[in-house]
Amino acid sequence: MRLLVIEDYRPLQQSLKKGLHEAGFAVDFTGDGEEGLWYALNNDYDVIILDLMLPGIDGLKILKELRAKGRQSHVLILTAKDTLQDRITGLDQGADDYLVKPFEFKELLARVRALLRRSYRRKNPQIKIRDLRVDLTAQRVWRGRKELDLTPREYALLEYLAMRAGEPVSRMDIWEHVYEFKSAASSNVVDVYIGYLRKKIERSGKPLLIHTLRGRGYLLGWQR
Amino acid sequence: MTHSLRIRLILAIIAGMVLLLTVFSLTVYMLIRRALVNQFDEALLSTARILAASVEIDVNTIDLEDVQNMPEFNEPQHQTYYQIREQDGTVVAQSPFLGTENLPLLKTSLNNVVFKTLTRRDRPERAVGLKFLPRSEIGTENSSQPAATEKPPKTDKDKILSLTVARSTGDLYNQLGLLRWLLFTASVVVIALSVLIAAFIVQRGLRPLRSIAAEIAAIREDDLANRIGTASIPTEIMPIKNRLNDLLSRLEGAFNRERRFTADVAHELRNPLAGIRSTIEVNLTRTRDAAEYRSALSECLEIVENMQTMVNNLLLLARLDAKQISFQDEQVRPAEIVNSCWQPFAEKATKRKISFDNRIDHQITFETDRQYLSIILSNVLENAVEYADEGGQIRTSARRKQDSVQIEISNTGCQLTTEQTAQVFDCFWRGDSSRKDAGVHCGLGLALVDRIIKALGGSITAEVENTGTFKIHLNMPAK
Repeated sequence: MRLLVIEDYRPLQQSLKKGLHEAGFAVDFTGDGEEGLWYALNNDYDVIILDLMLPGIDGLKILKELRAKGRQSHVLILTAKDTLQDRITGLDQGADDYLVKPFEFKELLARVRALLRRSYRRKNPQIKIRDLRVDLTAQRVWRGRKELDLTPREYALLEYLAMRAGEPVSRMDIWEHVYEFKSAASSNVVDVYIGYLRKKIERSGKPLLIHTLRGRGYLLGWQR
Repeated sequence: MTHSLRIRLILAIIAGMVLLLTVFSLTVYMLIRRALVNQFDEALLSTARILAASVEIDVNTIDLEDVQNMPEFNEPQHQTYYQIREQDGTVVAQSPFLGTENLPLLKTSLNNVVFKTLTRRDRPERAVGLKFLPRSEIGTENSSQPAATEKPPKTDKDKILSLTVARSTGDLYNQLGLLRWLLFTASVVVIALSVLIAAFIVQRGLRPLRSIAAEIAAIREDDLANRIGTASIPTEIMPIKNRLNDLLSRLEGAFNRERRFTADVAHELRNPLAGIRSTIEVNLTRTRDAAEYRSALSECLEIVENMQTMVNNLLLLARLDAKQISFQDEQVRPAEIVNSCWQPFAEKATKRKISFDNRIDHQITFETDRQYLSIILSNVLENAVEYADEGGQIRTSARRKQDSVQIEISNTGCQLTTEQTAQVFDCFWRGDSSRKDAGVHCGLGLALVDRIIKALGGSITAEVENTGTFKIHLNMPAK
């Protein structure tokens, strides 16, 4: 899942980067409002974490601009502004959630996960595809009764496919939502990771879960 | 003295009314009394003159025939008495009702009359005394004229008689008593009515005060946006209303500044707290190696150091506002202080290729507090290093004047507009586009400098030139 964090306070930016990255998210960072708006307009982020008091351009203006241009990314406002009016204004401008600094990092993660489930219209934090079970909260995966040991990147790939289970997912989508913006672009990487993932989740004698759709990408689950 | 304006006004009005009515009543009474007494005296005198004119003398006998026909003396209800004496005091005639009593002999001359108030048998009377030459039966006819107008012949001097006529003044005093009673009653009634009217007028007159009081009472300390004043305020109360509204405006401004300041402080403390908290939490999510912990700890330490600076600055600001700071003046050399204050920033300046030029004359000295001058210069220099452009220049200079020292610190690369320059001394204000190092500089430095300078009795101004040179002028009092 791909996140954008627009936060200008350097120490917080650093710890968010580390924490979110370790939680398996592909995260882009910027401390500048203008740059943040540019990122948000030119990429399809699952969740944008937005500070309000920013150099260059105010956080609320970024939000307004995003919504005016029809961007559907879920936005979580992360700010030190804590008055009721601030929160109401933020939510009414099109934010999906509002968290006041200082915050508990676990809560931020839980809120981001909740926004992600909303992005993909899933209420249940557990996704089941045949005998494959993905626990989005614990970030654990089972095939039948056996828990699978996936690397963070493999998990991130599976999670994205599971969120969109039953529909074709292009390599481009995978690239954009699973891998970090700043890593070197290569369409091959997606295929390589699909290969790793297949090795770990497919079982002989059991139905195939990851289908390759010629020219359209991949599909997890039943082929319609 | 009571503090109630209402009671004071009512008492003043009543006192005024009492005084006025007393003077008026007394005057009216005195005038009427004098008129009545005059009238009484006139009547008494004319009675006496008629009597005198009616007396005829025939050789040695007095003829009182006409007098006996005058009703005043013959009917007792008139209470008028007369007594005629000769020169030697021998009574020659008197009212029949007088009995054995005598009327006083009033000393007067032939042409004059004299009045006297007397009390006889416990009854007040008014008496008139005159001397006359009675009409002689063989004398000329013109002696029928009142005796006083005629010059008596010398030979007749012996015939001059003294007449005293007395009349009871009972009726007169009854009338005056009635008048007194009338005036007194009328005064009491008027005063009683005036109490009511005064109370009513004062009550009405003070109504705007009560309505203003109600308006003031309705103003709450958490909502100072309201102002006193409806259209119906009398002009006399206008100044009070205006002053109160001015006061409210100032209070509202102060409250708003205070509120904004508190919100700013909260915001500026929340950011570093969030930084520390998330740094710690993220690093605790799993076991890490020592280097990673060390880096997290030093990151937290850096944040804590910045917070500490900020809290110290806030504390200093609060103490300056509360005037709890005392300064110790000593002889200082600004050139040296600038050099020592520059030291902590020299490395950063070199890194960013910023040149520093201290042009302050070493001869300049003045008396001020060394420690606080250092805080001022450090903050201004830190600001200059922070916002000067890469490869730019920082310059300091000073001028000694009669009773002040002017220090100027300038840096190139300023992107502020003139309007923004006016805000540089506000707490937590940062030139927005230059907020590169969020959290490290919280925008208190120049605000602090401003307050210290003011506490020292000096002033500070900032300007930006078209070339992008930002200048701070310090004006310090110097003995």
